[in-house]
Amino acid sequence: MANSPLVARPTDALQPSKSLPTSSGGTPSGGLPRSARGQQIAQQVAAQARPTMDLMEQMNEDEKNKYIKGKKLGEGTYANVYLGHSRLDSSIKVAIKKIKVQKEYQDGIAPDAIREMKYLQKLRGHANIIILHSVFSSKDQNLNLVLEYLPLGDLEMLIRDVDHVRYGAADIKAWMGMLTRAVWWCHDNYVLHRDIKPNNLLIAADGEVKLADFGLARSFADPGVRMTANVITRWYRPPELLFGARHYSGAVDVWSVGLVFAELIIRAPYLPGNSEVEQIALICREIGTPTEENWPGVTQLKEYTVPSDVVPVAGKEKYMGRFGAVGSDGVDLLAKTLILDPRRRITAREMLEHRWWKADPKPTPKHDLPKKTAGAEEKLAADLKRRNGMVEDDDVRGSKVARKLDFGAAR
Amino acid sequence: MARPLDPLGFEDEMCPVCKSRKYLNPDIVFVFNPECYHSMCLNCANRLFNDGPNQCPHAGCNKTLRRKGFRSAFFGDLAVEREVDIRRRVAAVFNQVEEDFETLQDYNNYLQMVEDLTFELVNGTDERRRQAEAQLQAWEAEHRQDIERNKKAGREADEMSRKRLAAERDAARQRRIEAIKEAEEEKRERVRSREMELDNLAKGITTTTEPATKVQLKRRGQVNRVAEAAPNPAASAMATGASEVERLSIRGLKEKPKAPAPQGPYDPFGGMDFAPSRYKLHGGLTHPLIEKYRLDRQHVAGGYSFDDFAARALYEAFAGLGVFVEDEKEAGSASGIGLSQETTMAAGIAAVDDADRMDLD
Repeated sequence: MANSPLVARPTDALQPSKSLPTSSGGTPSGGLPRSARGQQIAQQVAAQARPTMDLMEQMNEDEKNKYIKGKKLGEGTYANVYLGHSRLDSSIKVAIKKIKVQKEYQDGIAPDAIREMKYLQKLRGHANIIILHSVFSSKDQNLNLVLEYLPLGDLEMLIRDVDHVRYGAADIKAWMGMLTRAVWWCHDNYVLHRDIKPNNLLIAADGEVKLADFGLARSFADPGVRMTANVITRWYRPPELLFGARHYSGAVDVWSVGLVFAELIIRAPYLPGNSEVEQIALICREIGTPTEENWPGVTQLKEYTVPSDVVPVAGKEKYMGRFGAVGSDGVDLLAKTLILDPRRRITAREMLEHRWWKADPKPTPKHDLPKKTAGAEEKLAADLKRRNGMVEDDDVRGSKVARKLDFGAAR
Repeated sequence: MARPLDPLGFEDEMCPVCKSRKYLNPDIVFVFNPECYHSMCLNCANRLFNDGPNQCPHAGCNKTLRRKGFRSAFFGDLAVEREVDIRRRVAAVFNQVEEDFETLQDYNNYLQMVEDLTFELVNGTDERRRQAEAQLQAWEAEHRQDIERNKKAGREADEMSRKRLAAERDAARQRRIEAIKEAEEEKRERVRSREMELDNLAKGITTTTEPATKVQLKRRGQVNRVAEAAPNPAASAMATGASEVERLSIRGLKEKPKAPAPQGPYDPFGGMDFAPSRYKLHGGLTHPLIEKYRLDRQHVAGGYSFDDFAARALYEAFAGLGVFVEDEKEAGSASGIGLSQETTMAAGIAAVDDADRMDLD
């Protein structure tokens, strides 16, 4: 916000209202009957309303007119998604996410919409973050986010389509590279994404993976400021959040990145817990039980509960067996992202400095990455219209995972 | 090498060996050897070099020449002859085309480089010529495959354009023949209808000329229809020719290997660096106000990073220093599609502004 543009030109928007009391309150000065005069004024007001929209409305209108809304790609309870294009150049396609007025937040903008706008604006300029072209409000005070159009669906689609999509270690490395860069960019800009999962990783026409859905993002908190522990879709939620930590760092995103990595390799969610308790149990079983030895202070966390049978922290051999496809360097990186103690967990920057990127095979160039076109548009729509922080799988397992965020309780 | 200026042309060119001239011997033929570009008459060349390699007879030139290397000049000026030879050689080695390059800029740079090298070879001092020669050979050795491929592609392109020209010529000829045939047919038709008319008149059928004209019309229509139905061989030939050309060129495009992209090592950071340029970050920065949190178990166990906090505090303290409002204003108005900050503010002004203070969680 370098330029301060809101020096409002004196408009005559207020004039009709100024003139109204005098004319309606005073005696009819002209020969016209009172009612006729009132009507005349009403017409006058109507005629002036358009050219004298206040500056804010004018700017909003201009912004709105830059885009032409096309067909509806999808409709959800939280938002509708439309395909659109720029008025000047119809080859510039955009996705317009029209956020519905929500019952809980009728007096203002829903917090997730605010977060999305704020952080997408802040994080602009990185190739792996979805671009927010513009924001405008349409009639009924609906908020419209004009987002980059990403026509090739998301990573989840590629992971799940075992029959038609095949990919190898080089492709995984390329995708992970893009994801890690996006997370690194967020963290270096002091933003926590807090909802990293395969279906928030959208794929652009050129194969570039873009991190989307910043509805749960926030900037790093100051010391002593409590953040909610109720973020990140459960399967990708790190143990510190499951234990109710209120002061955490970028390590929470790194855990999610690690689980996406694992999911890319085994092509199934690695830790699909049906409830938070089960999620903790899964983590304990697969990765190891958090104890004072491997995570100093963990027992002090508010909701620390672990199954009674303590499982030692998994060694590299255990991961090798299941994730060996990415080589020993890749497994090393994976194990470091899944370190229980968030203070010892690798950071996004350290991830990028890892030797795996330099090892063979080289990451696939982005335009050679496997892609899937059928159904991608619907998928984009589904991803954008979804409410943040929810899994909408219709599978048996995922059907009950949806979770409502309770922002009020976090205060 | 340099011939004395001769306003009369080549009349007075003299063989430096036997001193005969065109004036004396009108049949004299001058030849030279591209080893040294010294000319002499064909007789002398035959005489001197028939018995095997010999030294160039020019004073001060001690190149060893062979009979086989001699040829007659295309250009009168042997300096031009030499330059053309050199250019031909350089062009055979540096035969990249524009499509081989990522950008026009790259291509232009390449052309410039080639031209510089050629100039050195043509006009450079001995030292620089040797250097250029070495460069040329190194390049040739290194890129033999590319050169071969481009040569082949060039030949194919030549072949194709020749084919296309031939097809066009052929089509034109066919069209001409068609036109002549049609004209003849029409003439015959006219004669026939006229005869029929006369016959009818002779037979006393008084149905006037109507049927005849009808017939004629019908026939003409038929001819037209036939012409429409049976694809004009010329046109079809042209069409196939065109499609073939098209297809070939498309295939050519696809086949074209990507420009030798700089296969540098993979940069995990994607060429971006976010290291602060205005200050240096040391670990363990602290402030009395946050001291107590450092010991708080909740902060420790939750993984809260005090270094991140210090980095952010410093970043925010220094963030404004590099911003020049005027520059940003210009840059902002220049970008067409894009997020205009003001508008976003307009859409969600209260919200965005307050988001920090609201502290939602």
